[in-house]
Amino acid sequence: VVLSSVIGRLAAGADARVFAVAGSGASEAVRDLRLADGLRLVDTPRAADVLLVAGGIPPALAEPLARVHDALAHPRATVFWMPGVPPPDLVAALSAPTIVTDDDGIVPAVRRAHRELMTGERVSEPPVLPDEDAVPWRGVGPYGQGGSGMTGGTPYGRPMAELGADRDGLRLDVLPLSVGPFFPRFPSGLVLDLKMAGDVVVEAVARDNPFAEEARRPTPGLQPFLRALSQPVAIAELEVARARHHLRWLADALLAHQLGSLGVRVLRLATTLTPDDAEAVERLARTLTFTQVLRWSTGGVGRLSPDLLAGLGAGPVARASGLAEDARMDDASYGALGFEPIALVEGDTATRWRLRLAEAIQSLDLARRAGDLRTEQVGRVEGPRGTLEPGSSPTERLMAIVPRSIEGLEWGDAVAVLTSLDLSLDEAAAARVPAAARGVA
Amino acid sequence: MSLLGPVGVALTVFVAALIAPLFLRGLSDALNRASVTAPERVPFSGGLPPTVHAWSRYHARYYVMALVFLAFDMEMVFMYPWAVVFVEEGPIAFVEMGMFITVLLLGVLYTWRERSFEWS
Repeated sequence: VVLSSVIGRLAAGADARVFAVAGSGASEAVRDLRLADGLRLVDTPRAADVLLVAGGIPPALAEPLARVHDALAHPRATVFWMPGVPPPDLVAALSAPTIVTDDDGIVPAVRRAHRELMTGERVSEPPVLPDEDAVPWRGVGPYGQGGSGMTGGTPYGRPMAELGADRDGLRLDVLPLSVGPFFPRFPSGLVLDLKMAGDVVVEAVARDNPFAEEARRPTPGLQPFLRALSQPVAIAELEVARARHHLRWLADALLAHQLGSLGVRVLRLATTLTPDDAEAVERLARTLTFTQVLRWSTGGVGRLSPDLLAGLGAGPVARASGLAEDARMDDASYGALGFEPIALVEGDTATRWRLRLAEAIQSLDLARRAGDLRTEQVGRVEGPRGTLEPGSSPTERLMAIVPRSIEGLEWGDAVAVLTSLDLSLDEAAAARVPAAARGVA
Repeated sequence: MSLLGPVGVALTVFVAALIAPLFLRGLSDALNRASVTAPERVPFSGGLPPTVHAWSRYHARYYVMALVFLAFDMEMVFMYPWAVVFVEEGPIAFVEMGMFITVLLLGVLYTWRERSFEWS
């Protein structure tokens, strides 16, 4: 008892390990928690003490959320961060959930939950799902695998993977694997039904957007662009938002490439970015080019041909493949600033990184020169991910090419390519719902 | 040492090594008040349960690299007797080993050309 209280007190002083689930409208806020003191976002619920559920969770994600909750090791606690959205079903299943509705209270609430959990003031949450194996052990067969022979039968009641041809001309197992909706390297809500031969993605099928029925407010970073769909907006505001978005994306991408510390620095720059920070962004771009971080891990990976992307309005992804598609070209105000879209030709993952950095620098330059200039065109806006139109978002259009862009790649490359496409299912849903229903002025 | 003798010391270490893990395991079980439930045992892939068992046969592609490494690593064995007689034999030993290494190097270049060092 003495020992466990000493260990508990030591643990209470450590950073709270948090597995964060971002519902609709919350992905940016969750990422910004990386800058908070006393918290550490982890990539698997196994390593977490606290489960943070932020934003709107549609009914389709209720069961996966319950599974994530039960995957946390004891002792565990759940904190709900629900600014203006109804809490999910999981709240009802817990005896004493913490619900936070304002933005300032979230870090203290998570810290408190962690401390109380470690000192024993708060009891660990029991599982929400029944404590029984989906397919119980049957113990039949000479190897206890429920069938006969080494590869026959159904171990733990689960069938074995089926056979398929592999890239070396062998016939080996093809493992069906569903990844998502809360896989930390995927955009929140994305579920891919994959077939894996070893580490190679043989086939990928994307499931429907779970946020599609949600009429929620979009993330704050996207709001200027959605506003620009219906009214003139200051170009300076749009372009700073675009540069911030690209840097936020870069922070995420660096984290996906295991460069988390650099990612946190970039994120800090992104949250405070002003048009005068162009030099800092240029320095960042030089560092990334000079150190060859991009080239080695992403050069030549996930090349997308211009034919595949033509007409998708896929913004930076299309421009990295040599298509000079940009809705800003049709806007007279941008014309007055002498705007020319940046287009690079290679179309691989490294080029998409380079292009976003170049665009961030270009955006800050435009923002500096724009003064009070406002956009003239409404109804069609170049968002940070591509062309936004009422009822249609770049993510929605890019989803069609997701399977083709990752099939045949090794898993690590597939994740790198998905990251470089910068998808947001949340944005896709927000663009589909008319602005009036979303409550955007 | 003198009290137990060499056999006694070995026996003591053996018994201690047997007891230590059992003790640590017991301590861990005593401190841990929660049992692992079925949903906790399921591998995490983002919130969806696995549909097939993870006993999956796949091509261990590193085997070529492993074999090449083993082959060339074994050649190093010949360097030990050579190092012993190197001073006695003088330059002639150096030339002989140079020839041996050259042959090996040709082998490495051949394997390189056959793309054995590439992952995919």
